[in-house]
Amino acid sequence: MHLMTDGGPNHFSRWLLAIGCYSTTLSWADDNLRGYVCILRSLAQPPTAVKSDDRKKPLRSSPCGSSGETPSSDLISRFVKQSNMAAASSSSTESPKTTTERRGIPGAQFVEDVETYLTQTGFDVNSALAFLQERLQQYKLVEMKLLAQQRDLQAKIPDIEKCLDVVATLEAKKGTGEALIADFEVSEGIYSRACIEDNDSVCLWLGANVMLEYSCEEATLLLKKNLENAKASLEVLIADLQFLRDQVTVTQVTIARVYNWDVHQRRIRQIAASSTSKDS
Amino acid sequence: MQQGTGGSETEVTWEDQQNINKFGRLNNRFHELDDEIKVAKEAIDNLEDASNELILTDEEVVRFQIGEVFAHVPKEEVETRIEEMKEVNSKNLEKLEEEKESVLAQMAELKKILYGKFKDSINLEED
Repeated sequence: MHLMTDGGPNHFSRWLLAIGCYSTTLSWADDNLRGYVCILRSLAQPPTAVKSDDRKKPLRSSPCGSSGETPSSDLISRFVKQSNMAAASSSSTESPKTTTERRGIPGAQFVEDVETYLTQTGFDVNSALAFLQERLQQYKLVEMKLLAQQRDLQAKIPDIEKCLDVVATLEAKKGTGEALIADFEVSEGIYSRACIEDNDSVCLWLGANVMLEYSCEEATLLLKKNLENAKASLEVLIADLQFLRDQVTVTQVTIARVYNWDVHQRRIRQIAASSTSKDS
Repeated sequence: MQQGTGGSETEVTWEDQQNINKFGRLNNRFHELDDEIKVAKEAIDNLEDASNELILTDEEVVRFQIGEVFAHVPKEEVETRIEEMKEVNSKNLEKLEEEKESVLAQMAELKKILYGKFKDSINLEED
């Protein structure tokens, strides 16, 4: 099962980049108040929003990659090899049945007829099963990664909403002229009272030990933008996961069918063999 | 949901595969909805308890959690806020329950179709 992987499709590296982008934005510091009376936690660079360019160009599963992109890790090279293989076999089948890749996740080829599939790919039953099993493992790996990202994003969104709440409260208090008294956590289990005077600005924690002062309106805008980006990224992620799960299902069904076909063939051969031995 | 490994001859067409995929998606969504409904119910219970405590307390100023800090808020305002939050949460819960009903209905439809075609070769029940 050797294939030329010179270059290989660069969509996979773009997908990795997208994954990387998710994780860098999630590494914000999670510190509490440090001597400032009113400090809000906010999230740094807005999570890289929908990679709209990737989505608009569903890549055909054909081995036309940019040269010079040598995949480095094992996972990449295996995925690339097999997506090339799938491409080689799928190029001869009808295209409506072949799912194109999505952001680097190769689509599982739907098998119309097991026998034609096996002759096309030139696999025997065992190697076909092995190939499909390996694909399944890779899909599972990717699924775990995406699930972890989804969890992170789902934790991030309520955080941003809480920050928005606080800014809104401060803005509401601005008009009345009275100070807001709040108890905040100095350390685990230890709280202290703070008297928050009227002021027009809040400080937002941007991560990486950086805090910036914003006016209330700007802070609200920034937080709202972050919230929207987070929600958009979450939607894209969920769509990715659904696509991935579909491919997993297709692969599982294909494995079952190849296996059944093999059992069926053996049975036929056995019957044929026993009937010929009866005759002779 | 698993795919059964029966020995039957029934071929799987592209529509069948799409139905199976759709069933898988719906099943996942169903479990997610279950979890979300649980969380929403807990939140409503907590708000109920909070408003009950509020009635019992005789303090004028209540520490109300906004974000990560507890702001001193007069009792009436806290009451209003809790009412609002209860509203929002129960609307959310209603929406989730509705979605769950529709997901269950769609799953029942698909089950009928798939069992009709594959009979024993497919297993669509929970583990």
